[in-house]
Amino acid sequence: MNKKMDIKAILGKSQRLWILVAVMLVLTVLQPGVFLTAANMKSILLSISVYGIMVCGTIFPILLGGIDLSVGAVAAAAGAFAVTWIVDHDFTNGAVIVGVLGGLLLGAVVGLIHGIIVTRFAVPPFLITLATQNIVYGVAQLLTENNVIACMKPESFAFLGGGRLIGIPFSIWIMLFMAIISYIILGRTVFGRNVYAVGGNAEACRLSGVRSRMVIITSYVASGLTAALSGIVLASMNRQAIAKAAQGYDNYVLTALVVGGASLMGGEGSIQGAVWGAFLVGVISNGLRLVGVASDYHGIVKCIVIVAAVALDAHVRFKKSGLQKSSSLFKKKAKA
Amino acid sequence: MSALLEMKEIEKSFNGSPVLKKVNFSVEPGEVHALMGENGAGKSTLIKILTGIYPKDGGQIYWNGEPVTVDNRKDAQALGIGVIYQELSLIPTLTVMQNVMLGKEQSKFGFVNARKMKKKVTELIEKYGFNVKADEVVETLTIAQRQTVEILKALSEESRLIIMDEPTASLSAKESDALFGIIEQLRKDGVSVIYISHRLEEVYRLSDRLTVLRDGVREAVLTKEQIIPGDVVRLMIGKELSEATASNSLRKSDAPVRLKVNGLTKKGVFHDISFEIHEGEIVGFAGLVGAGRTEVMRCIYGADSYDSGTVEFEGETLAKQITKNIRTGFGFVPEDRRNQGFTPLLSIEKNVALTNYDTLAKSGFVKAAAEKKLGVEMVDKLAIKPGDSQIPVGNLSGGNQQKAVLAKWLSRDLKLLIVDEPTAGIDIGAKDEIYKILESLAENGTSVIMVSSDLQELLRVSQRIIVMRKGGIFTEFSSGRITQEDVLMAESGILTKEGKADE
Repeated sequence: MNKKMDIKAILGKSQRLWILVAVMLVLTVLQPGVFLTAANMKSILLSISVYGIMVCGTIFPILLGGIDLSVGAVAAAAGAFAVTWIVDHDFTNGAVIVGVLGGLLLGAVVGLIHGIIVTRFAVPPFLITLATQNIVYGVAQLLTENNVIACMKPESFAFLGGGRLIGIPFSIWIMLFMAIISYIILGRTVFGRNVYAVGGNAEACRLSGVRSRMVIITSYVASGLTAALSGIVLASMNRQAIAKAAQGYDNYVLTALVVGGASLMGGEGSIQGAVWGAFLVGVISNGLRLVGVASDYHGIVKCIVIVAAVALDAHVRFKKSGLQKSSSLFKKKAKA
Repeated sequence: MSALLEMKEIEKSFNGSPVLKKVNFSVEPGEVHALMGENGAGKSTLIKILTGIYPKDGGQIYWNGEPVTVDNRKDAQALGIGVIYQELSLIPTLTVMQNVMLGKEQSKFGFVNARKMKKKVTELIEKYGFNVKADEVVETLTIAQRQTVEILKALSEESRLIIMDEPTASLSAKESDALFGIIEQLRKDGVSVIYISHRLEEVYRLSDRLTVLRDGVREAVLTKEQIIPGDVVRLMIGKELSEATASNSLRKSDAPVRLKVNGLTKKGVFHDISFEIHEGEIVGFAGLVGAGRTEVMRCIYGADSYDSGTVEFEGETLAKQITKNIRTGFGFVPEDRRNQGFTPLLSIEKNVALTNYDTLAKSGFVKAAAEKKLGVEMVDKLAIKPGDSQIPVGNLSGGNQQKAVLAKWLSRDLKLLIVDEPTAGIDIGAKDEIYKILESLAENGTSVIMVSSDLQELLRVSQRIIVMRKGGIFTEFSSGRITQEDVLMAESGILTKEGKADE
């Protein structure tokens, strides 16, 4: 019951999510008995699970008013590291543990570097993560020597992205688990509170005794970690590592976050919203396929719907209250 | 002889309350005319009417004897009125020449003629002997040099009248001298200057005439010979008001010393600052903009670093770290409320909680119920309106925003609270409430340092008043009753009461 209330509250707060409901209704009518089935829902969830995992960490820098453009590259490199390690060490379970942990460590280190460079040298996050995107992509190429490296064994590795638990793909479980963790961190911990606060006004936080620097560094580490995790899941799902594995995922992640109500100016957004946003993207792709639209059009249609969703939301919010409008105006001024 | 500018019986009201009441003001060619008055006297409004930013409600502007209308910035520019803004309006990444010629680039077939423009700007620079070069990039210049670029900009528009609003606020003494040299040159060249400043000594030194505004009324026009510091101050404040708002009897406290600052120095910003604050005392810090008050306070709090000197808190050396100082019992309400005081998107509750997670959390997890309770409690205690702790602070009125900032600290066990311009931009009712809050804090043993440019406020709340001037402590008032006049004179370096000067 509580959960239902929650959903209602979210829908009430963020009009753009009504778009999701509308799209789903239309698809249900257009494709009766096909769209709104458990099997199809499962396949949508599976299709979004990889960047769904990413979103759970990338939301932190976004809430700070920063950005992490390296997540796709980090995912590819982490997947490549795990796979090459497993392949080089005879596909043992021990190799899986080291490979996965090593991949995660790689993501955390990249995040740490981002955090330190952003806080110590005041390099804009956009710039530094764009640079590391290319550097880390290079690392992924080096690791894979620009080949597709297959990894069909062992079962323990394949389970991460391909196994099932109670009939539901394990990657969906990971996504849900990560979403819950993120939700708890953002909603219940001091760190989570500080992320919103620093994103809203870093200087005020510093003067209030918040260790803004630590908050920022930790956020980028979280982003690197979840990116690495999603890359490992992706490699397991595909049973192969390839440098181009997660190309374009940076965009999916940003789309999911923005559609889900996160402000790129920082301070605003929620993990629930981001997961809904990811789901909307998944639903649209799925619907287009079901309706039989040629895949060449998918990108175009998807982006039109997304822009419409965000524009509608902004418009409704603008109309609804003068206060909201002035507060966002004020915010822009404060940032400048 | 006809005046260059004549403003006759100018009237202006905001929301029905008159700000300018039939004000007359005139400027002769080649004259430096100072415009003085306290905050809110109507100086800026008069200037904004002259430059077309505000429409006037009544009266007439004459330029060279001809009636003119000034509806916008362009009209003023066309007449030959240039303004040097307090907040400089240059584009930092462009060169001096590009900035000066911005919007009036000389071009041929759509291509800019850089050589011609550079020649023009260089000629101007040479004519006045300015200390800048045409192709220097503005962001590499000092503030004083940027100001000369602003002046160049006005000159390149063939301005006959240049308005300078507090031009020396952020300049060093040497830089100010250079600016005065430029003003002399302008005068010789027949360019008139309207000079707005709180610094009495500059005004005496520069002006040919001086107009004093008080509460929207032109109080006096004085010629150079008539300008006597004490008289001007009296005219600005008004006799009745000065007496009505005299301080309580100032007194030294015999309570134990809580904060002891000794020889605090930050090169180029402030030097050799020493003072003591006792338990339960409210000490006001007076001074002009740029005197270094805010900078000293930020260093004591740990927000900025200093070069030498010591700060002791209850006998122990104070950490240079905000987080530690907060734990010791420090609170800090910054000058720039909007940019430094609060997080606008977050609710009152969460803003208040920000400084309280040491008690509101257990092993990293927030105790949500306690957080909520504290928010409600503070909203009630300080009567923050509307009385809902869930409203984002950005949506509150100025006074309530400031209360929310205070709430961040009042929720703690405070030993020392520093407030910097606590009531700037706040209506009278809310001001009163904030004074009461500060007074009750002091009664309960908290020491309060209040930096303020509002003289009435300083006199009303403080038990002692320390006056800073040019980065040093000029004097301290700690006995008897004093008036706004005394403080204002001290801020400008003139002692009327006993005390020690630093020179």
